This record gives sequence, structure tokens and C-alpha cells, in this order.
Amino acid sequence: MDHSTSDKFSELHSKMGLRDILSVGSSGLRTRRVRAALSVIGITIGIAALVGILGLSQSGSADLLKDLDALGTNLLTVQAGDGFRSQQASLSSDATAMIDRIGPVYEVSATTKITGGVFLNDLIQDGRTKGITIVAADLNLLSAQRGSLKSGKFLDEMTSQFPFVVLGSVAAERLGIRNTSANQRIWLKGKWFIVIGIMEPLPLAADLDRSAIIGYPAAYKFLGFDEPPGVIYVRAYPEHIHDVRSVMPATVNPENPEEVQVGRASDVLEARIAASDTFLNLFVGLGAVALLVGTIGIANVMVIAVIERRNEIGLRRALGATKFHIASQFLTESLLLSILGGITGVVVGMLVTAIYAISQDWSIVIPVYVIAGGILCSILIGGIAGFYPAMRAANMSPTEALRTK
Amino acid sequence: MINLENRPSQFALELKEISKIYPGPPIVQALSEISMAVTHGELLGIIGSSGSGKTTLLHIMGTLSIPSSGSIFIDGRNVVGMSDKQLSGVRSQQIGFVFQEFFLLPGFSALENVANGLLYSGIPSDERKERSFEMLGRVGLGHRANHLPNELSGGEQQRVAVARALVHNPSFVLADEPTGNLDSENTASLMGLLTTLNEEGTTVILITHDLEVAESAQRKITLRDGRVDSDLSR
Ligand SMILES: Nc1ncnc2c1ncn2[C@@H]1O[C@H](COP(=O)(O)OP(=O)(O)OP(=O)(O)O)[C@@H](O)[C@H]1O
Ligand SMILES: [Mg+2]
Repeated sequence: MDHSTSDKFSELHSKMGLRDILSVGSSGLRTRRVRAALSVIGITIGIAALVGILGLSQSGSADLLKDLDALGTNLLTVQAGDGFRSQQASLSSDATAMIDRIGPVYEVSATTKITGGVFLNDLIQDGRTKGITIVAADLNLLSAQRGSLKSGKFLDEMTSQFPFVVLGSVAAERLGIRNTSANQRIWLKGKWFIVIGIMEPLPLAADLDRSAIIGYPAAYKFLGFDEPPGVIYVRAYPEHIHDVRSVMPATVNPENPEEVQVGRASDVLEARIAASDTFLNLFVGLGAVALLVGTIGIANVMVIAVIERRNEIGLRRALGATKFHIASQFLTESLLLSILGGITGVVVGMLVTAIYAISQDWSIVIPVYVIAGGILCSILIGGIAGFYPAMRAANMSPTEALRTK
Repeated sequence: MINLENRPSQFALELKEISKIYPGPPIVQALSEISMAVTHGELLGIIGSSGSGKTTLLHIMGTLSIPSSGSIFIDGRNVVGMSDKQLSGVRSQQIGFVFQEFFLLPGFSALENVANGLLYSGIPSDERKERSFEMLGRVGLGHRANHLPNELSGGEQQRVAVARALVHNPSFVLADEPTGNLDSENTASLMGLLTTLNEEGTTVILITHDLEVAESAQRKITLRDGRVDSDLSR
């Protein structure tokens, strides 16, 4: 055999570019659009669920975590618990001073509940108090809570001496007072008080949202009230918070430390984050099940496609397709299906997240890794679902494939 | 027109003592020691009754199935022992197939179906289109290029399939009962086309059990029970 002959034969191999592989791989979908659309629903639902849940939990707990970060986890709530003498217990009047003496404590703010009604004016006193509590408080209460004002000012050295009141967010809403510009008066335990401030909600002390807060001097002068603190808020350096907590009862009440209740205000928020994590896990599990079902769905459609298109496989082999070309055709088809489902799922999941977050007034947080993860996940699924059908198509004998029954 | 000087061998296809045994059970000896040589430019008819081994032989000639023993030379080169990938290469460049069932892909236009004949040969897509369009013209369907298979008659569909088999300029075309699904008028027309293409230089191996169809062939090989019963040239 001469040289040119062997040269001619050495060129004899099947070749196919990436564009042709993609175009051939998509041809099966183009001609069977409805089936393609139906077969990706499982993947779409699964990916949408995962993206939505991860997005929502991020948006939701992002807000919770942001709250927690801003509010700090170092606020202790000290109050008299039910001792053995089951009377309305209160703390001793020097409790504030004693707590202040604990080294790592840097802020102490006392509050005392005052029984009495709060009304918009002196005419309507039908006994309905609107559930607003009168509270005498130290001037640093707002800073101890790391709270802020919606309107006006908090009590200071001067205003705490006079019949001035600061309303919690819920209390203001219930009284129908939106701002302090009108110097609105309210009828508080039979005396007129002027509203000088309205607070934003205090996540660490939700009961203060429903209260009308006045200074201790004003409480004494105008209401004749002089009782020891009921609840003391304590800020201590975070690294010592456990020590402070453990010495607190004996410091406040050396004789009956068991009558002192000490709580960490941020525990409530942390419990909410933990609860949302539990939900998250549940829904991630459900999303994973949807993905599994979706994978089986695509694998199923691909197996059917290989059986139905047996003659096409035989024809392509006769036209010179290698086993690799046949495998890549069906693998491409499966990947295109799953990526289609994945992209649709990511879009739907993002829409759901955005709509829900907006309705909840949350910030919209959809991390890039969730989007990338959704697409990657769908690629993986397409590979897994398409592998067996592609192998089956590639290993079909050409003569078998060309047979018509 | 064929140019024998460019051909590495005098024969487009040469079979030497080809046997094919299907292991079964039961064991079937479909072909027994078949030898033949097909010269470039021939129109060879292979005839035989049902079950005589025609399709088995065509699949072996087309490298779609491997003989149990014997050698096959395509353009002078033995293809027995080649890998599946190499055989695919041989098919993509040197062999054209026409089937009884046409096997046009339903979602593709006539032009795209013809272009599929060049899909695995590494030719750029523009050139594939161009050559396919030219080939469609040669089978008389230039004006139907953008029609889908289900918009074409059976006779037209088989012409498209013939164009697909020829578009890559193979060493020979294998046609297995190409008129099997056609009425007598379309049969005559398709045979006219194959004869014309053969006169223009294409080597055609035509398998049929229809003796009338086989009349077009200059040379007729009759198979009986997997053996060559007669080999007659006009
Ligand atoms: N895959 C196979 N396994 C076992 N036996 C087979 C197989 N394929 C074909 N045969 C047998 O080989 C013999 C030849 O079959 P082949 O299909 O080549 O016949 P044919 O001449 O093409 O017949 P027809 O005119 O009916 O198409 C038959 O007896 C057939 O039953
Ligand atoms: Mg047959």
C-alpha cells in the first residue's frame, strides 16, 4: 500500500464541533416542546423551593441577626421573682446601686410599674385602660435598650421633673398619637401629662412598647409614687456576661437570692432564629425531595426518548456518529432540560423571595451562592439523570437500532 | 465523473470469505464464505428471497456489523479489526446508506436532513448547507429545501434520503430495499434517479427482492441461504 493511501485513511475519523453537539442535543427538545416543559416541572419546583426558602430565611434571619447584632446579647433583665412569700415582690431600693458595683457592669437602668389608667382625655374614663402601663424609669432606659425615638425626645434631667411622658410605640398607636409636634396631653392616673417623645419598638423589652414612661421625680411629685424598682436592665461587658449573671441574685438580694429572676433579653430573639432554622431545615428537606422526584422524572423521559428514537440512533450511527457523539447528544439533551428547569426555578424562587420579603418589610437578601448553587445543582441533576440513558443509547448496536419491527 | 487514478484501489469494496453467524440460540449461519468485488462506478443488484441474508450482508458492507470471519476492503483498506470509532469514521466519509423506511428526522427540513449526511465529517456548517443544497438540486428537490418530511410525498422523502447518502461523496452507496415503501410510479422514478447518479459516477449497491427493480443493475448477485448463488453481468 503506498503512502498516500495510508494518509487518506488516517484522516478518516468522525468529527463534530461543540456547536453541532449543542444543536443536535437540543433538536430532541425543539420537536417535543410540551413534553420537555412537563418533564422539568419537578426540577423547577425543587430549585424554586430551595432558592425561595434559602432566600427567605436569609432575608428573615438577616433582619433578626441584624437586630441581634445591633441590640447586643449583653442585656440582662433583673426582677423580683415569686419567692416563698408569695406577695408582689419587688427589688430593694438600693438594688440599682448594688448592681452598679459589679465590675463588668457598665449601665444600669431601673423601671417601676405604676398602677393607673392612661387616657386620651379626662372625659372618657370608662374603665378601659387600653392596656397601657405607666412606668417610672431612669433616664438612661432608652440607651440601655439601644432604642430610638420615632418622634420627639426622651426624658432628661429637666423633663423628668415635670409632667412629661414618653410613649412606647404600641401605646402611641393605641392612643392615636402619631407625633409630638402638637404637644398632645394625655390623662395619666388622673393628671395631665404632655407627650414629648414616642419610641420605636424595643425588641429586647416588648412590654415597654405598651407603656407610658415618666421620670421618677415626676412620679413622686405628681403621682405621689415612691416604690423600689420592679425591673432593672443591666448592660455588662459581653465576655463577662455569664459571670455577671451568676453573681446577680446574691448581689441584689443576699438573704433570698432565689427570689431574684435574671434573664437575658436577647434569648427571645435567639429562640426566634432557632425556630426559623428548624423551618428552614424542614423546607430544604421538602425541596430536596422535589429535586429527587424531578431527577427521576428527567431520567424517565430520557429513557423513553432513547427507546422511541432507536431508529434515529441507528441512522446517526450509519451517518458516522461515534458512540461518544450519541452519548453526548442525549447527555446534552438531559442537561439542557435540567438547566432549563433550574433557571426557571431560580427565577421563580427569587420572585417568591422578593414578593414575600417586600410584604414582610424585610430587606431582600438572595445570596449569589444560592443562585449559583441552584444552577449548579440542576447541572448535576442533568448529568445524573442523563448518564444511564446516554450510555444505553451509545451502546445500542447499530443494526439493532435500525430494525423496524 | 469518477477518476480512477485518484482511487487507492481498483475496487470500491471487496469481500473475502465473509461469514456471519448469529450465536442465537438457535445458532443461525446468515452468511457463508461470501466473496465479491465491486468496481468503482458499478451498479450492483443483490437479490434473494426473504431470509437469504441480504440485510445482514448490507450491514457488514456498511461496517455497521462485524463479520464472524473474513475480510472487507473498502477502497483497498481492510476494515475488519478497526475500532468502533474508526469504523464510524469510515462510514462518515466513504459509505452512504439508503433505507427502506427513509429515516428522515421529523423536525428537520429537507435541507437539514441532507446536511445530516455531513454532520459527522468535520465540515463547517456553511459548507454543509451549500453542498446539501446542491445535492438536493441533483435529486430534483431544490425547490423543496425548506419543507419538513411530513410535507413531502414518499417518493420525495426517499429522494431526500438519497441526497443525504450522496452528499459526502462516498465510495459507494448501500440501498436496502429503497423502493420497498414506494408505489410503482415512485419506484420507477427513484430507479431512474439511482441509474442517473450511477451514470454520473456513483457506485451503487442495491439490495432488493423485487426482480423488476433489479433489472436496472448491470450486474446481479443472487443470494440463497447465505451463499452466492449466481453472479451475472449484462
Ligand atoms: N440479530 C439476529 N439474530 C439472529 N438471527 C438473525 C439476526 N438477524 C438476522 N437473522 C437471521 O439471519 C438470516 C438472514 O436475515 P436477513 O435479515 O439478512 O435476511 P434478508 O435477506 O434481509 O430478508 P428480507 O428480505 O426478509 O429482509 C435470517 O434467517 C434471519 O432470521
Ligand atoms: Mg432485509
